[in-house]
Amino acid sequence: MGLLDRKLRRDLIAIKSQAFAVALVMASGLAMMIMTRSLILSLSTTRDTYYGQHHFAQVFARLKRAPNSVADELAAIPGVATVQTGIAIQVTLDVPGLDLPAVGLLNSLPEHGELALNRLYLRTGRLPASRTSRRELAVGEAFAEAHGLKPGDTLSAVLNGTRQTFTLTGIALSPEFVFEAPPGAALPDNKTYGVFWMPYKELATAFQLYGAFNNVAITLTPGASEGEVIAAVDRLLAPYGGRGAYGRENHPSHRRLDDEIRVLQGLAVAFPLVFLSVAAFMTNSVMSRQIALQREQIAMLKACGFSNRQVGFHYFKFSLAIVVVGIGLGAAGGIMLGHRLVDMYHLFFRFPQLEFMLDTRVLVTATLVSALAAFVGVAGAVRRAVRLPPAEAMRPEAPASYRPALAERMGLAPWFSASFRMALRNIERRPIRSALTTLALALATGILIVPNSFRDGIAYVIDFQWDLVQRQTVTLSLVEPGPARAIHSFRHLPGVMAVEPFRYVPVELRAGPALRRLMLQGLPAHGTLSRVIDSGPRQLVLPRRGIVLSAKLAEVLRVQPGDMMVVKVLEGEERELQVPVVGLAEDFAGTAAYMELSALNRLLLEGDRISGAHAVVASNQWREFLRAVKATPQFAGCVIKASVREGFRQTTAESIGLIQKIYMLFATIVAFGIIYNSARISLSERARELATLRVLGFTRGEVGAVLVGELVLLTLVALPIGLLLGSGFAAGIITTVNTETVRLPLVLTPANYASAVLTVAAASALSALLAARKLADIDLVSALKAVD
Amino acid sequence: MSPAATSPLFRVRGLARVYGEGLAAVSALAGVDFDLHARELVVLLGASGSGKSTLLNQLGGLDSPTHGSLQYRDWDLGHAGEAELTQFRRNVVGFVFQAYNLIPSLTARENVALITELCADPMAPEEALHLVGLSERMDHFPAQLSGGEQQRVAIARAIAKRPEVLLCDEPTGALDVHTGITVLEAIERINRELGTLAVIITHNAILADMADRVFTLSDGRIIHERVNTRRGSVRDLAW
Repeated sequence: MGLLDRKLRRDLIAIKSQAFAVALVMASGLAMMIMTRSLILSLSTTRDTYYGQHHFAQVFARLKRAPNSVADELAAIPGVATVQTGIAIQVTLDVPGLDLPAVGLLNSLPEHGELALNRLYLRTGRLPASRTSRRELAVGEAFAEAHGLKPGDTLSAVLNGTRQTFTLTGIALSPEFVFEAPPGAALPDNKTYGVFWMPYKELATAFQLYGAFNNVAITLTPGASEGEVIAAVDRLLAPYGGRGAYGRENHPSHRRLDDEIRVLQGLAVAFPLVFLSVAAFMTNSVMSRQIALQREQIAMLKACGFSNRQVGFHYFKFSLAIVVVGIGLGAAGGIMLGHRLVDMYHLFFRFPQLEFMLDTRVLVTATLVSALAAFVGVAGAVRRAVRLPPAEAMRPEAPASYRPALAERMGLAPWFSASFRMALRNIERRPIRSALTTLALALATGILIVPNSFRDGIAYVIDFQWDLVQRQTVTLSLVEPGPARAIHSFRHLPGVMAVEPFRYVPVELRAGPALRRLMLQGLPAHGTLSRVIDSGPRQLVLPRRGIVLSAKLAEVLRVQPGDMMVVKVLEGEERELQVPVVGLAEDFAGTAAYMELSALNRLLLEGDRISGAHAVVASNQWREFLRAVKATPQFAGCVIKASVREGFRQTTAESIGLIQKIYMLFATIVAFGIIYNSARISLSERARELATLRVLGFTRGEVGAVLVGELVLLTLVALPIGLLLGSGFAAGIITTVNTETVRLPLVLTPANYASAVLTVAAASALSALLAARKLADIDLVSALKAVD
Repeated sequence: MSPAATSPLFRVRGLARVYGEGLAAVSALAGVDFDLHARELVVLLGASGSGKSTLLNQLGGLDSPTHGSLQYRDWDLGHAGEAELTQFRRNVVGFVFQAYNLIPSLTARENVALITELCADPMAPEEALHLVGLSERMDHFPAQLSGGEQQRVAIARAIAKRPEVLLCDEPTGALDVHTGITVLEAIERINRELGTLAVIITHNAILADMADRVFTLSDGRIIHERVNTRRGSVRDLAW
């Protein structure tokens, strides 16, 4: 080790707590960057590999029924590479231990050979034997895990009105169900919705579909146009009750996964950048101070013949050492937290294997960015130091010149105490540094706002969705839409106090080139259970004609109230109608479209029909109610609001909660780091002044007040700026989280602002305390000594 | 009235200060005995390392002795705690440093006011600055003042609280002769007009003639005490 390096090591040890604070802030930014970028890499690589190896289809279609021969016609469409037809059908399940009916999506396995597309990955057990009817099922992993099911267990399903008991042969995963949730749901509810596979013959026979199919998956030849294939498929399937083909970007599981990656991409850039710029600023302030303190040493080194380059490189290495520690800590933290988040993603996304993959490119980039930040941090200070001729540098710096502060010149002087004046004048003497410190403090305050706005957004969504919008206890759906009078059968269930009917119809909404497929919901105009709420938030009374869209859906389709759009009914007799958009609804999970129930029925030309009902059930008759529901085969599903809400709390809320905690930790580190660093630099610069005051009889507390006075002033200026900045950050980041499947409202509460202010205040107080403890170490006697 | 006739302000007996321990121990003061009285002007002479600064630090409550006793009136400074020493410095002692140690962000007047805000019966900052002949430069910042002017502000700051003791550490060390004289005159005038005990440490033997008593230190001991029956005026010193 060279002598300069030995000096470097000792100098570093001397400022270890400051160097550590800088490294920690840098580490926070890097950890966040590495964590999110690596998650993106893990998710997208795993997804692509899984899709590739298991032949995930590119075009999908549902239909009422078509003979198997149509499959050959599909295969003959130009641009189609492979076609997989089969049956997919929803049934009601009776799961042991679950006191409400669950919904199962039964998918067929081909009679001969393996699935050509959307191939299964078998986690355990085996697939059902294909030829004979043995009442066997393979179950999707999410549902199996939610119920603790394993091969050999049994469960009952109602197939076309007949209750049958099945034995589970194995647990399987499919690229089609990476996100295993009912169609249209933004959140998984793995207790009441599961995916299953069984032999084609057995499933087809039960539903009188043998020799036919109702589900299509297609892959394209390279270079084929997806749009043209979709159009051709739609034309071909129209006579068979085709419900419209769609590509991957409309596939619910794929879209949900894509949205998650998009959210991560939003988080991966902006936030870490703020942290890294703060770290660069801190490196700069620490290094400038170090170099100012070592002015005479630099002169001595130069006098002894060291070149400017050598001296400059020495100090660059100084800050590089801090960077290395920061990168080490950041990489370790990012990898550790990334692993935790990957575990969490397992709750949502089912892959054969989702492993944390370190994005080494981002590690290299981060290293370069941090090193550059460190370099920029020292460059200016080193340049100033080496430019001085040695003889001049060896003389002590001339006393700093001051003048009365602006506020004093404006005549406010008589009200200011001496220490307040010192603070004001110090701030004014170095305006750029004061501005940067203020900015850093404001950033620290600002980044504290973001994680809590996430938390508050989630709380708002929970209240909004399940108190304001949904006021029912349960939602019961019928196997097939039934006549309006079926509402009586709901009303007579035990414990039911109120019911309101609804009608769900699969539709395609189109405005210009943009289109979306979803369930159009028909609700009573003045619904009291499941309500449509606008951005007010006020209840929207559904008009006698026209359609109400989620605000996000309107944005995607580029329509506004007053515009006309095309509604294509994808069920029964296909119809296409021009319908005016009459209102926008506020919602946060998925997108929806609503019409007044009778208006919808007029549109469908079906007479008064309902798909189910929302109901309020008395809690003292809950068990009887569930028993009755389970015993009624017409009910396809029963969604209990409380369990969905709980599911949301345990999954989405928990995952965002984890991210919130990680961010909060990082933001606190930054806030503390900045303030501590500022206090330490101030202490170092003014050590002599402060020691003089001690000698002159100031108590340690009084000197402490002089020391932190400047910081307190800057903090007071920074806080409101920080709250503004933070609101901006929160708005920006929440916009990136604003996807079609998940959205968070921007909720900024006084409590959030207060907690940011208090955290910064606490960090200031603690830093001041630590700096004041350092005050005790100031050598009073040294203050008496001459500078030369 | 001879200063010695009054009861002493400082009673110093067997005062010793050892820095470090064991083999590394350095004895900076090795047993000093003397009394210092109000109205006296005392010069502590000695070469670098003789222990004069250590002695001044002990008198000023900046450091505590390892052995011996150090009494100020009824105050046992030898065993006083940190808070008590702060109060002692705050209420009793005025310091003048070789390097002035003014607060650069405060004007001359404010540097003085900083201290007068701390104590019970201070003189007006303007009065203190007038005493050192700086009435015209009160609103200047340290960077706008010459070395001698800065040192006189430091003296004004030290005396504004009407201290009983004025401790001056090489007050003219950084000044040219002419400026040094102005500064010493200021100290002498304070001592004469306010009756403050003034202790000046210096390696400049010429200053001895302006004192009532002169102690010469070497190796942490007083090796010589000289009493001047008549104090010479600062201007008459053999510069």
